[in-house]
Amino acid sequence: MTETTEIQRSSSPLHAILSLIIPGAGQVFAGQIVRGISILAATLILGFLSIWTSAQRARFPDMGVSARIFVIVLLQCLALLALLLIVRYLILRSMQDDASADAASRGILGVGYIAIILIASRPIMDLAGHTPGMLEIYETTLLLAAASLAGLWLWQSNDAALLGAGNPAGSWTPAILVGTLLILSLGWSITGIDISKAISEFSDTQVILRRIVWPWRTAFEYDIDTVESQARIQAPCPPGAIGPEVNEPLVGEAWISVTPTCGDMTVSDNTGTTLGTELTITGGGFEPGQVVEVLWKNPIGNPFTPRGVGETEITISPDGTFVSSLNIPLALVADTAEGAQLHTLVIRQESNEVFTGRLSDQMNLALVGILESIMIGLMATFFGIILAFPVSFLAARNLMMPIMSKTGGVVGGFVGLVPGIWAAIIGTQYVISLFGGLEQAPIIIAIIMVILFLGLGGLGWRLGAWIISQLIEALPVSIGRGVIGFSFAALAATPGYLLGLGFSRGILSIPLSVEVAAVNEQTYAIIGAVILGVAGAAFGYFSGNEGEVSIGALVYAVTRTILNIVRSIEPIIWALVAVIWVGLGPFAGTIALTLHTIAALGKLYSESIESIDPGPIEALQATGANRLQTIVYAVVPQILPPFISFTIYRWDINVRMSTIIGAVGGGGIGFILIQWIRLFQYDAVGLGVWLIAVTVALLDFVSSNIRARYV
Amino acid sequence: MLEIKNLTMVYPTGTVALKDVSFKVEDGEFLGVIGLSGSGKSTLLRCINRLIEPTEGQIIWNGVDVTEADQSELRNIRREIGMVFQHFNLVKRSNVITNVLSGRLGYTPPAWSLINRFNRADREKAIQVLERLGIPEKAHNRADSLSGGQQQRVGIARALMQDPKMILADEPVASLDPVLAHSILGSLETLNQEDGITVMCSLHFLDLVQRYSTKVIGLRDGHLVFEGSKEDVQKIDDERFKDIYGEEAERLGA
Repeated sequence: MTETTEIQRSSSPLHAILSLIIPGAGQVFAGQIVRGISILAATLILGFLSIWTSAQRARFPDMGVSARIFVIVLLQCLALLALLLIVRYLILRSMQDDASADAASRGILGVGYIAIILIASRPIMDLAGHTPGMLEIYETTLLLAAASLAGLWLWQSNDAALLGAGNPAGSWTPAILVGTLLILSLGWSITGIDISKAISEFSDTQVILRRIVWPWRTAFEYDIDTVESQARIQAPCPPGAIGPEVNEPLVGEAWISVTPTCGDMTVSDNTGTTLGTELTITGGGFEPGQVVEVLWKNPIGNPFTPRGVGETEITISPDGTFVSSLNIPLALVADTAEGAQLHTLVIRQESNEVFTGRLSDQMNLALVGILESIMIGLMATFFGIILAFPVSFLAARNLMMPIMSKTGGVVGGFVGLVPGIWAAIIGTQYVISLFGGLEQAPIIIAIIMVILFLGLGGLGWRLGAWIISQLIEALPVSIGRGVIGFSFAALAATPGYLLGLGFSRGILSIPLSVEVAAVNEQTYAIIGAVILGVAGAAFGYFSGNEGEVSIGALVYAVTRTILNIVRSIEPIIWALVAVIWVGLGPFAGTIALTLHTIAALGKLYSESIESIDPGPIEALQATGANRLQTIVYAVVPQILPPFISFTIYRWDINVRMSTIIGAVGGGGIGFILIQWIRLFQYDAVGLGVWLIAVTVALLDFVSSNIRARYV
Repeated sequence: MLEIKNLTMVYPTGTVALKDVSFKVEDGEFLGVIGLSGSGKSTLLRCINRLIEPTEGQIIWNGVDVTEADQSELRNIRREIGMVFQHFNLVKRSNVITNVLSGRLGYTPPAWSLINRFNRADREKAIQVLERLGIPEKAHNRADSLSGGQQQRVGIARALMQDPKMILADEPVASLDPVLAHSILGSLETLNQEDGITVMCSLHFLDLVQRYSTKVIGLRDGHLVFEGSKEDVQKIDDERFKDIYGEEAERLGA
């Protein structure tokens, strides 16, 4: 064995003990401060997570008990591991310095580590005097977590010992492996994974699965073909009565014949039951092999199944006939009835259901629902594209970052923006009154509104920028700086005020009384305004009129932030908002999906703009093209393929989303589906699921075709 | 006439790309710019039409200071100066004729170009330019379906659409093989001699510079280290060569 390996093997017990007491202490002592702190932090976090999880899973009332148990388990694991290490040491000694012995002992260490902990720790816990109840709820996975932590503990102690003896820092791999094992076992416990239950109780799903997987019977209406034959019986039978005529057998249709046709009813009283006259029933012409139902109609004509007096269901023999017997049951007879009454015996056969070809109500509902869903997805994608397209240019870093503006121009722009927007609002109101109300021509008014806001806002910006720039250039430099500083202070103070207000309302106001809250609100708002105002003033003063502000970067940051917020809220949450906004139904779903689509497509579009080849942009700028021309000729041709691709992808998502958005009232098939689920109508649920699956598959086919053709 | 006075360009990262560079380009000249990669050749060319904003100094183009021009003045200056790039910078998915016509955008009212409209005269001119450069049959092919040499011709055609008084060529043949290199530089030479377009062209290979240039400047680490006529270039000896290309450089094939 060479000297270098000799050195690597050497270790420092002092460092090992330090780390054993406080994880990471040995490493810190050996000069590896970051390593030591990382180890301490990891051990603390994983330890706390383990204790907290066991407290949650075992439903211990307090963390203290849970922590105590966990520490006991941890100590046991440490002891067992120490035992294993001794075994390894003995193996290594007995087999001398042999690489295979080292490998073998490591293997034993690894396998023994998990095995012994799983098998032995429970009995040891019993020995330690815990009540069985606590043990039972303490899961194997949590034992594994404790064991992993113990492994981590020993690893870092060993690591400290090696570092302390002057060895170079070793690999993190063992720690990462053990740490992963720990997190996985906690995850197993937290998610309540129970494989034995999953296997043994799988058969329970059949009831639902069968109906969902093949629900097509529910899709159509069936008529039930009924074959019926009757015979009349007189009861009670006065002396000398002969009753109605006995039916004769018929050919080609169902018939029954009953003898005798006159008898007494079954009577029940305190002493017992006296059965009525026994009737022999013969019949023919029924569907062979099928069951017929025996019914009794009292004189008023109300049918009931005569129970306890004979067979109520008879199986027809292969030639279509049957013979059976029945005692005349007790039938209620009207109080006013006198003498003998005519009863009717009915033999009814419900033969196979007859396929009518008509769709069932449920199928009709499902079809309407899926159509609605597809349209919701389509409309949301349509509006999404229209709105996301311009937004995406504002959210593209490479286009926005170079847009610089002189400070004076920015100040003037904002100053001019205010009257611009104000004029646009007045203009919109005028246009609305001109049309006689928003509802008269909403789309035209909306378009005019957008034009007014963009046009007048832009005009205000340009005019303001020009006037202020001219003004500042005319002023002496120091006054110009003062003006710009003051203007920036004013510009920054407004969001500062709002942020302060939001901070106090949103976070601080809860425990405060109304009066105190009002005072505090203003205090915080003013503090916010002052902080940002001073910052703005400093920026404005020191940059002066020659300084440049990346106005593009500001627009980029604001657009991206809004997009990210809107996108991080799921469509189903937007649907909740939209339902309150415009009421239940597909319009709410469309709004929800549109909002999410704008944000998602805006991000995807802008990222594809960011990844374009900048060469053509440069080339077109060099020809003297302006910004708009550069975008039309150098940017748009490059982004068209990814735009088409992303749009189709989003359409795909939107249709799928629209099927579940109904669950919260957003219309479409989800709206119907959630009702069927709540009514346990799994056949109908199956229909919905099938229609969704077919739609998605078709859409996938169509979209991949379009993609292949145009992208 | 183009006059560069004390031009300095410092990137936001602190890199000094050009330091106090001054020289003149007379009308009708073919100016070769030599120097190693990173010596500031590309930055110099891009400062002239302000694709990159210079930090200090003046660029006088026919009596107008380019560095002082506002956006609309700058666009008018830019359309007089065509530019050809090492990687051609064509819109790959657009067809050749559209790429060529886009050289005309500086003269087109912005509203018209929004709906992809150029007037008849421009279209005819585009075909003529392509004919002159020998690739009229490629007009309706997609730009990326052309070979490298053909793509560079489209790049030159785009610059020609500007009716330029000068063409800035940023290593126009660095991505092409030697035969194509001569053919492209030959085209530029023709334009220089027949149309009197001033050419300012950065090149890697000294033999190309010696063959085509009427005047040469050399850059090293952003400093102007050489300025001379065609004859001076012919006379570059090993000593001079090392001034431009650094101590470790070896002359090949000289």
